[in-house]
Amino acid sequence: MMQYTALPEDILMSIEKPERYIGHEINAVYKDKEHISVRFGMCFPDVYEIGMSHLGIAILYDMFNKFEDTWCERIYSPWVDLDKIMRERNIPLFTIESQEPVKNLDFLGITLQYEMCYTNILQVLDLSGIPLISTERTWDDPIVIGGGPCSYNPEPIADFFDLFYIGEGETRYRELLDVYKASRAAGDSRDEFLHKAAKIPGMYVPRFYQPEYNEDFTLKAFTPVYDDIPTKILKELVTDLDDTYYPEKPVVPFMKVTQDRVVLEIMRGCIRGCRFCQAGQIYRPVRERSVEFLKDKAEKMLKNTGHEEISLSSLSSSDYTHIEELVRFLIDDCTKKKVNIALPSLRIDQFSVDVMERVQDVKKSSLTFAPEAGSQRMRDIINKGLTEEDIINGAVLAFKGGWTKVKLYFMLGLPFERDEDIEGIAKLCNSIAAAFYEAIPKEKRVNGRVNITASTSFFIPKPFTPFQWAVMDTPDDFIRKAGLTKHYIHEQLNQKVIRYIWHEADVSMLEGVLARGDRRLSKVILSAYKKGCIYDAWSEFYKHEAWLESFKECDVDPDFYMYRERKDDELFPWDFIDCGVTKAHLLREWKKAQAGIVTDNCRSKCSGCGSARFDCGICINGR
Amino acid sequence: MKVRFKFSKHGVLKYIGHLDLMRYFQKAFRRTDIEVLYSKGFSPHMIMSFAQPLGVGVESDGEYFDVEVDDNEDISLMVDKLNAQMAEGVVILDVVKLPEKFTNAMASVAAADYELNFYKDSPLSEDLLNKYNSADAVTFVKTTKTGEHIINVKEFVFDICIKDSATLFVKVDASSAGNLKPVNLVQALLNLEGKAPEAYPFHILRKDTYMRDPEGNLVPLNKVDYE
Repeated sequence: MMQYTALPEDILMSIEKPERYIGHEINAVYKDKEHISVRFGMCFPDVYEIGMSHLGIAILYDMFNKFEDTWCERIYSPWVDLDKIMRERNIPLFTIESQEPVKNLDFLGITLQYEMCYTNILQVLDLSGIPLISTERTWDDPIVIGGGPCSYNPEPIADFFDLFYIGEGETRYRELLDVYKASRAAGDSRDEFLHKAAKIPGMYVPRFYQPEYNEDFTLKAFTPVYDDIPTKILKELVTDLDDTYYPEKPVVPFMKVTQDRVVLEIMRGCIRGCRFCQAGQIYRPVRERSVEFLKDKAEKMLKNTGHEEISLSSLSSSDYTHIEELVRFLIDDCTKKKVNIALPSLRIDQFSVDVMERVQDVKKSSLTFAPEAGSQRMRDIINKGLTEEDIINGAVLAFKGGWTKVKLYFMLGLPFERDEDIEGIAKLCNSIAAAFYEAIPKEKRVNGRVNITASTSFFIPKPFTPFQWAVMDTPDDFIRKAGLTKHYIHEQLNQKVIRYIWHEADVSMLEGVLARGDRRLSKVILSAYKKGCIYDAWSEFYKHEAWLESFKECDVDPDFYMYRERKDDELFPWDFIDCGVTKAHLLREWKKAQAGIVTDNCRSKCSGCGSARFDCGICINGR
Repeated sequence: MKVRFKFSKHGVLKYIGHLDLMRYFQKAFRRTDIEVLYSKGFSPHMIMSFAQPLGVGVESDGEYFDVEVDDNEDISLMVDKLNAQMAEGVVILDVVKLPEKFTNAMASVAAADYELNFYKDSPLSEDLLNKYNSADAVTFVKTTKTGEHIINVKEFVFDICIKDSATLFVKVDASSAGNLKPVNLVQALLNLEGKAPEAYPFHILRKDTYMRDPEGNLVPLNKVDYE
């Protein structure tokens, strides 16, 4: 038996973690390519251990490989050490499974999980020997298709993609592959195939849509060049999450990846409608999987992977209707199998504290709250349905259960923010510390004192949120506000037990530009890539100066995307996409935010967001 | 009951490091119905002991680890059960029951056989071997936290012979106190010739791993029935 590797031994022995590139992991799918008509490469444009931790790819990998005529393989960004060697020695990028050049494939699917991966897309195309600009490709190149959350504003990277799939991947890929097969058999040109693909629901072919700009570079019109393709593209979604693809044998990496565990997606969407959160809007309506489905998948996945941990995945697990039944089942089942349970995004209440006492080492672990804002006024503006009382009560429950470490997540730079809201962050931390000393008598304080970590990130307005109209803070604002937070924390009585950490502002700027960007940014991204920018999501590789130069050279003003006041009726670059939630609803929410009025969650009252037209999930059976 | 498995490791799996290989075996056991015993506490882990960690890039025909399983397990089924869960490249070759209070795999290791194949520019010759045999000391410089040490490999080599013009066979000390890495041995040999070793010009295959029986003889780690 001789296993082939694209990389020769001397390279594999000289780079970091060669395990990233060799394949042959447990449950990896190998097919005889002689009996395959479509070869699909599924790429996560970041390093292997990040990409391998992504559930969406695991679901689609399983789905594609269930198609008998299709072989789906995985592709990741080579780490910077190998990137350099591949360029020097002209080694083409390869897939993990067959180790063959990416260029041999029919499709290259790229998942777009965060804006900061955009230069890595160019890295992947470039190393594969695929022309970076879509219109320069021929049938010698794979069809390059993008999907995932950032495809809800695909315009900044429109030039690099042949096709975008808008929405959840489970529904339309079969149809797309069939159109592809028929097109190839008929001898269609690439453009002819893409024209046919553009008629499939959810598919967006950027080259067939033409933007027109006003003099101030705001969008004037966005029109299809053919009459027979839609002007507005409605997102795709799975209406019944119990009757769809879900992997029972996910790939088990040899190396320790970020998610070294079974991941159980319990539901999609969120009832909460926090006004800063894109996921809370684009995955509407909330659809739950049944407990029976989840029990079955949990048992099979644990059996087939041998993982020692299972984690629940959703935007807000406490809102899952059957959370108690599911968690009780998992505790009983997993304790027998010596499997740990991770319960992220669980609201802190009596139930979750009881549960976590059973599944975690109380002395070591910390409890996490995400109030997102320090004052009640600000929490009402962002529609975070969490009061100070909820937080303090939750913390006291946890303290009584033995926890002494609390982590709190906040955002700075939210719309309509005042300095008193920032002071609220410090005051809230102080109140939690005070609650500890009040609730726990001296002799029962296990570790002596309480540890509170407050962490702030900078708010970045995202498309398809009520805050898509918001003006973003400048790096100077951010730095001032982080300093102010620190100052206010120092003023508190319990400041000694409060630790404060914040994230850098430069990267936030770029993310702010790309998130609400338009098609004019493609050339900026290309220019930054040519200046050596890759792995922008990794602060150690982020080259701020190179980006600033690229904006200048391309004569594109980054401030336009961040600091401009957007009118209520401005046509946005992403408005040709219909995510289900209407622009009218988002605007209503934006106005309510200004007035500090909260909106009920989907379970207590329908707010008429527009998603009811999908006729599924909480919209038909929720309340 | 404590049992000792023997396995081989070839192909691309040679790039899997020791810690990841341990995780790999833990997960593999969990995919079988073999009942492995766990340590107590909040994060229980399997009670396992690996013999001598294999370096990244090295293949092997004789690797060993001990694991404690439930007394009711049928030892005759274990090899097949575990082999059904192996990735291509790792093969379970044998399992034996360990006598009570038997020294664990890691502590028992005394020696290992290696085959070194120089796939280009082989430096091997009878002349080199003669030089080795007649020299009082054949050395390399080992850099540790405490500084540079000159190590005489002859103290750690039990057997050395040339199999063909490109292949060297050695039996060396592999105990925790005196483990000699094949790379260092080659370094010392090339020092005799005044040559600097290139990066990985040779493949390394560990043939087997040995412990000492009560008479002091070297026996493979799975020959536990000498008593």
